[in-house]
Amino acid sequence: MSVVPPSIMDHAPQVAKNFWPVRLASIVGAVAFAAILDQLVKSAGSGLLAERMVTLAALYVTLSVSLNLVNGITGQFSIGHAAFFQVGAYAAAIFSMQRSPAGVDPNLWILGSSILGGLAAGLAGLLVGLPSLRLRGDYLAIVTLGFGEIIRNFANTQAWVGGAYGTNVAPKQASVGLAILLAIVSIAVCRNLLRTAHGLPFLSIREDEVAASAMGVNSTFYKVTAFVLASVLAGAAGGIFAHTEGFISPRSFGMDLSFMILTMVVLGGSGSITGSAVVAVVLFYLPEALRDAPALRGPVVISAIVMLIALTASVKRMDNFHGGERKRQWLVGLVPAIGGSVVLGLLLSFVPDLAKTNFEADRLRMVIFSLALIIAMLLRPQGIFAHHEFSWDWLRSRLKRRTA
Amino acid sequence: MGFEVLGLWAAVDVSTLPQQFANGLVTGSIYALVALGYTMVYGVLRLINFAHGEVFMLGMFAALFASWWLGFGPNMIAGAQGNPLILIAMLTFAMLVSGLIGVGIERFAYRPMRNQSRIASLITAIGVSLLIQHGGALFLPVSPPPSIREDVNPYRSNVTWQILPKDGGLLEKVKLAQINADRATTALNDQMKAEGVNSEFDLSPASQPLRQEKSTQDRALRDAQQAADQSGVNVTLSQGKVILMLTTLFLMIALRFLVMNTPIGRQMRAVAHDFDSASLMGVNVNKVVLFTFFVGSALAGAGGMMAATFQGDAMTTFSGLQYGVKGFIAAVLGGIGNIPGAVVGGILLGVSEVGVTAFGMSEYKDIIAFVILILVLLFRPGGILGSAKVEKV
Amino acid sequence: MTEPILKLEQATIRFGGLVAVNEVSFSVAKGRLFGLIGPNGAGKTTCFNLITGVYAPTSGQILFQGRSLGGTKPHRIAHAGIARTFQNIRLFGALSAVENVMLGAFLRHRSSLAGALAFMPSNIKESAELRERSLHLLEVLGLADFANHRSRDLPYGKQRRLEIARAMATQPTMLLLDEPAAGMNPQESVDLQDTVRRIRDEFDMTVLLIEHDMKFVMNLCEEIVVLDHGEVIAHGGPSDIRSNPKVIEAYLGEAV
Repeated sequence: MSVVPPSIMDHAPQVAKNFWPVRLASIVGAVAFAAILDQLVKSAGSGLLAERMVTLAALYVTLSVSLNLVNGITGQFSIGHAAFFQVGAYAAAIFSMQRSPAGVDPNLWILGSSILGGLAAGLAGLLVGLPSLRLRGDYLAIVTLGFGEIIRNFANTQAWVGGAYGTNVAPKQASVGLAILLAIVSIAVCRNLLRTAHGLPFLSIREDEVAASAMGVNSTFYKVTAFVLASVLAGAAGGIFAHTEGFISPRSFGMDLSFMILTMVVLGGSGSITGSAVVAVVLFYLPEALRDAPALRGPVVISAIVMLIALTASVKRMDNFHGGERKRQWLVGLVPAIGGSVVLGLLLSFVPDLAKTNFEADRLRMVIFSLALIIAMLLRPQGIFAHHEFSWDWLRSRLKRRTA
Repeated sequence: MGFEVLGLWAAVDVSTLPQQFANGLVTGSIYALVALGYTMVYGVLRLINFAHGEVFMLGMFAALFASWWLGFGPNMIAGAQGNPLILIAMLTFAMLVSGLIGVGIERFAYRPMRNQSRIASLITAIGVSLLIQHGGALFLPVSPPPSIREDVNPYRSNVTWQILPKDGGLLEKVKLAQINADRATTALNDQMKAEGVNSEFDLSPASQPLRQEKSTQDRALRDAQQAADQSGVNVTLSQGKVILMLTTLFLMIALRFLVMNTPIGRQMRAVAHDFDSASLMGVNVNKVVLFTFFVGSALAGAGGMMAATFQGDAMTTFSGLQYGVKGFIAAVLGGIGNIPGAVVGGILLGVSEVGVTAFGMSEYKDIIAFVILILVLLFRPGGILGSAKVEKV
Repeated sequence: MTEPILKLEQATIRFGGLVAVNEVSFSVAKGRLFGLIGPNGAGKTTCFNLITGVYAPTSGQILFQGRSLGGTKPHRIAHAGIARTFQNIRLFGALSAVENVMLGAFLRHRSSLAGALAFMPSNIKESAELRERSLHLLEVLGLADFANHRSRDLPYGKQRRLEIARAMATQPTMLLLDEPAAGMNPQESVDLQDTVRRIRDEFDMTVLLIEHDMKFVMNLCEEIVVLDHGEVIAHGGPSDIRSNPKVIEAYLGEAV
């Protein structure tokens, strides 16, 4: 039995004497950080691509952190998060259609779009959440997925917003600063919640809803609140997304996006804000980075896949029999896996058709992505960060240990 | 809203409804085959097997390869005819391949996750599904999307059932119109011969009325024919689709027999009822789960083979997605974990999709599945034939 | 006799054809240590579930401080002042012991959710207060050393005590304990009797408890109701119950 750092309030927070100055400074700091990063990315010279990538990464962080509030913290299995992202994006698009953005500062306009998107998505979240949160577990998952598909397909049928083809959104601009600020706000909101007693009702519903209501927690209220709050954040991200791309269509908000966000949450460690944020960035960049990877020969691809599978299987197997001591297991698993796959690769290179086949990186990237996902889940099902959170104290203790 | 619906009814040709229903049954039986796999796996493991659609897709490809090996490859010279034995071979091969792939997925991706949280298993399932979709695209022939050659299927002619006979009076009118049309045609032909031209458009101006007369009579015949057709109710399906439905029916009866009347079926039911107790009572749970995956996946493979053969669906590695989602909805509609429910859900979904198209709202076809799903779940959380479990406090 | 705080009037619940609780009537006086016993499947836990709103009675009434509870949601009943523990321990496993208790104490919170999202001073102060109070309760139940342990990792007996602490934290007027001594060794059981008595005296609570351990009930409770097949078969003090032939028959073979 070990003393675990509890999920929240490991140190009961106290109101510091200089609370308001510190608060003010942190707000100014966050805004300044976003603004500086905005300028840095814009002046980096690598052009629009970098701006778009940083913005999208920040939006993914928002999506993943907000879904974590529903899935990880409140324990409600929602897998249709892309729908609220879409509602926000379409709200921004419609807004730009109705009122001409010409003559308005684009940053201000996009801020307005984002707020509007958040409100629209929040309303949608309320409409979806009220009836469906009566359901539990898999059934809730199915209903959220269904609502997501209904919203997406509905946009498909509406010609006035471009139907299946999509619609342009003006002004087209990647708002790096706004996106980063939104990500910071999402993280801060979730973190604040978990650092005060108000986080407890959310967590208690995740742990045991029956017990929570017997202790006076109005579970419907908290579930719907979490759902609406997450929808608002996703919708705000959607508003920024619409302007970043300058063009939106229902295809951008499919089930695969929902699954991607869900994967970020689970792979990061359900409930861990840090995990959701970090993994969102990694998972977003991984497929993009693989786009430019060199093409690989057939035998190399196959033997690499086999090696990974063998390695995973052997680590898993040893886990089952012995437990513990991961490092040695990796080594023990690595040797036969690498040896075997080299032999296999050599043998396969005698297969004439295969040896000539080249696999371009673009066709490989989703394969690598899905393999990485499966292997990560097999080896660390509780997620990379499990339930841990990043904290300055943790970093300090780590650094101390390193220097000592 | 009410009036709109009435207006829609007016747009529907009631005499085509049985035909639409039959089309719905065809689509629905494929959905039902897919739904059975979802339901069986959910029944024993409480796991939504998101890779099930991909198993279906691999069944399509297996059938394709089987047809190639049996002489119906892409470079075949036209003229050969398929026979039932080839179809049976393709079906068996597709079921076998899909079944084994299902077993492989269970053994290497799901079993290691069995003691982990449900959401972790779900993510693994999504990963497996992505891997098959994208990994398959590396090795399978997907561009251009191949489809199984038509001539492998000897059952391409149509069968028609008459449900209501056509109106006698209208049929008389058709006969009359036929005589008139024939007379006008003969007159025109005679004139053309007389003038020595090959086209009716080269006639002299004086003969123009004859041409006019012919087209008027032809139109009258067509209208009469249509009126007569609509007065009766017919259902026309290709023989292949009838075979598809019969095969589905046969597989379902076989499955029911398997589950209800065999030792392994009894073990499956025991595991579905209570996983832990079953294992304590000496049921080899792993064997039962593998067998369940095999049977469920083989049924999806059968569905894939039949969709590819009798409907001629072109295939990519993403072909399973649509069928997977629909089959899943069908399973939930009927009550997930409930075998007759999967069949009911599949048929219901197929019929309502075709129904929406019949109402002229085909763009809402993909929405209707989810709308029905949500309505059923909200008002009957356990599905149509299922029962939601009440948590014991 | 003082005024009854809880009163069941012919409370009945049917599940399909099964009558789990059949016209059960009894009343619990304020400040009583009241026991509810009976053989397995007699409907004791179902009674608790009726009182705490998990199920609504099919017919009959349940009055708490004169107000009818029929059909009230569980969280409302908790607010009205009834707190409970569970037969099959239902702690918030991933949360620490003190967090479990804080959730109980959270019932009486005053600060707003919006404030929490913005991390306002009033919320921080209140969180610290709730934590203080919870630590105190842990001390009362002898769990002070385990405050920061994950509740899932605690030994069984401590988990039962933690459930009591969590229920007490809601500041109820009435505490329902469902088999609080189950799985405890004799020494732990005796300690628990003292604790329950102390809770009643110091915190001014009425205690209604279900227990299988006869020694525990007979030593602790001042008034006992015996249920069998969903019906009340006896009601009285420990000595009456011990000599009641119906009770002996119900427990045939078991030492009473």
